[in-house]
Amino acid sequence: MINLAQKDIKHTLGKFIITAMGVGMLLGIVLIMIGVYRGMIVDAKVLLDDLNVDLWVVQEDTLGPFAEASRIHEDLKNSVRVIDGVEKSVGLTFQNLQLQTSVKPVRVVAVGFNPFDKVNPINPKRLVEGNILTHDHYEIVISDNIGFKLGEEIPIGRNLYRVVGITHGTVSSGGEPLVYISLKDAQELQFSYSNNRIRSDRARGIKDSSSNMPMVNAVVATVRLGYTTDEVAHNIRSTLHKSVYTRAEQRDILTKNLIERASKQIGLFTAILVVVSTIIIALIIYTMTLEKMKEISIMKLIGIPNSMIMKMIVQETLLLGFLAFIFGNLFSHLIYSHFPKRVVLEIPDAWMLFLVIMIASILASLIAIKKVINADPAAAIGG
Amino acid sequence: MAKQAIRVENLIKRFGEGDSLVSVIEGADFLVNKGELVALIAPSGAGKTTLLMMIGCVAEPTSGKIWLGDELVYDNEWLTKEQRKIRREKIGFIFQAHYLIPFLNVIENVTLVSQTNGVSEKESNAFAMELLEYFDIADKAHNLSSELSGGQNQRVAIARALANKPQIILADEPTAALDTERSVSVVQMLKKIALDQDVAIIMVTHDEAMLPFCDHILKIENKKVVSHDVPKSSKLI
Repeated sequence: MINLAQKDIKHTLGKFIITAMGVGMLLGIVLIMIGVYRGMIVDAKVLLDDLNVDLWVVQEDTLGPFAEASRIHEDLKNSVRVIDGVEKSVGLTFQNLQLQTSVKPVRVVAVGFNPFDKVNPINPKRLVEGNILTHDHYEIVISDNIGFKLGEEIPIGRNLYRVVGITHGTVSSGGEPLVYISLKDAQELQFSYSNNRIRSDRARGIKDSSSNMPMVNAVVATVRLGYTTDEVAHNIRSTLHKSVYTRAEQRDILTKNLIERASKQIGLFTAILVVVSTIIIALIIYTMTLEKMKEISIMKLIGIPNSMIMKMIVQETLLLGFLAFIFGNLFSHLIYSHFPKRVVLEIPDAWMLFLVIMIASILASLIAIKKVINADPAAAIGG
Repeated sequence: MAKQAIRVENLIKRFGEGDSLVSVIEGADFLVNKGELVALIAPSGAGKTTLLMMIGCVAEPTSGKIWLGDELVYDNEWLTKEQRKIRREKIGFIFQAHYLIPFLNVIENVTLVSQTNGVSEKESNAFAMELLEYFDIADKAHNLSSELSGGQNQRVAIARALANKPQIILADEPTAALDTERSVSVVQMLKKIALDQDVAIIMVTHDEAMLPFCDHILKIENKKVVSHDVPKSSKLI
């Protein structure tokens, strides 16, 4: 049996492929949009996963340093450590810095930690050059996408920091590159005032504003074997009256609370792009059908059943959708690495898009099919 | 009865209603037998194509009766919902232009209807090749219509009309786009087909030169269809 769709496509192969490439680029953008969202989720979890701690103790009535300002005394880590079920606890700081590279200023998130403590936020797997911090002062481990080289010195605050290690793929929940400095340096940068400020405070009658107890943004803790994180979290809450979040809760804060709006925005964009793609496919198929109306009328006149003509249109639409999907995947894989933020292309997302596009293609062919059903065979000979 | 190919009885076609009612055919009665080539003539706009489309089960008459072969297909209403099946199985169409499907090659154009009727690809291809050889275009079997001349395309269109072994061929001005020499050739071919295949052919034409090749003439006069013998020299149009 003659396959009309195959013959028609073969007849206009170049045009068909170029059309599929055009729609494919649109679908590629849809995949990139989904990938940007997936990238945000991955970015949000980098620090959490690298730290690999069970509990986050933060300023009471706050959601912690990723969502709100949280300041607690560093020595709280000692109080946490003695609570039943806690294995180890350390203080961490998180702050935004702007580093001046030779090309442009780069906004980063600095993680301050004690390099001699038992919890290290630098994942050795992400360390691509150099070492982790080995001194209490003026060393920095930096993400490779900032542009500094090993051994280079970076001015931060009043001091120069030497790059001792370079990591890859380390970003904050907001997508900014991460840098790691010692806790002492971080505290100085975040909490110490300049001499002018201290003199100004003294003149106002504020006593000793610079010599507060060392502060951190969070104390993180791991749980001993045999204890559940929930029961240890409860112990800390009831003893120290601080807000405590488990790792899962902290992840929810990052992914649900912080990324929810962004994900809704991207989701809406993606939905609009899918609708636009469907409309474009529908218009293309409709136009292709209109171009063949004379032939369709002739076919109807000589007795070719509607089902055979409709089959041709549906097959062409599905093939257009399928080819566009293939081109979309190729296109997205070619360009995704050039995006400034992380883009994660996942196979299940591609299959989901495939399903959506196939359904959309069938819907898109309906307008053309209606045109076929209504075509007057007498039109073939001018009435 | 065995010779009857087309019989029309008191066929009426009107368009619109009330004040805008337009009557095109008012009571057509005629008979066309198998093996006959019949010319259908009338001035432009007189309803030739409309009559052809009614016989071809494309346009619905207002009233009357139509027999195709021995089968009564219209008796004030279509007696079957499958008019397209009737067209596919009993009727071959030839048009003023060839109207071949441009994305199908010659043999695919010729076999499309017979394959749709359930004839195997092998069988329909073999018969199509016989027809193409008959029309002296077998060497073009795998060419697209865009690669053929106008005359060759018209021969392919005639082969397509014959491929489903129809009882009736309805030809709407098949020679209008051809010069006199080619027109005569096509009409002679149609006459030969009518005799060889025992097919009834109704051919709409404006060309008097084609009339001597026909067995008789149907002329639409004052909305009636009148049958005439083939004249030797009188002007009918």
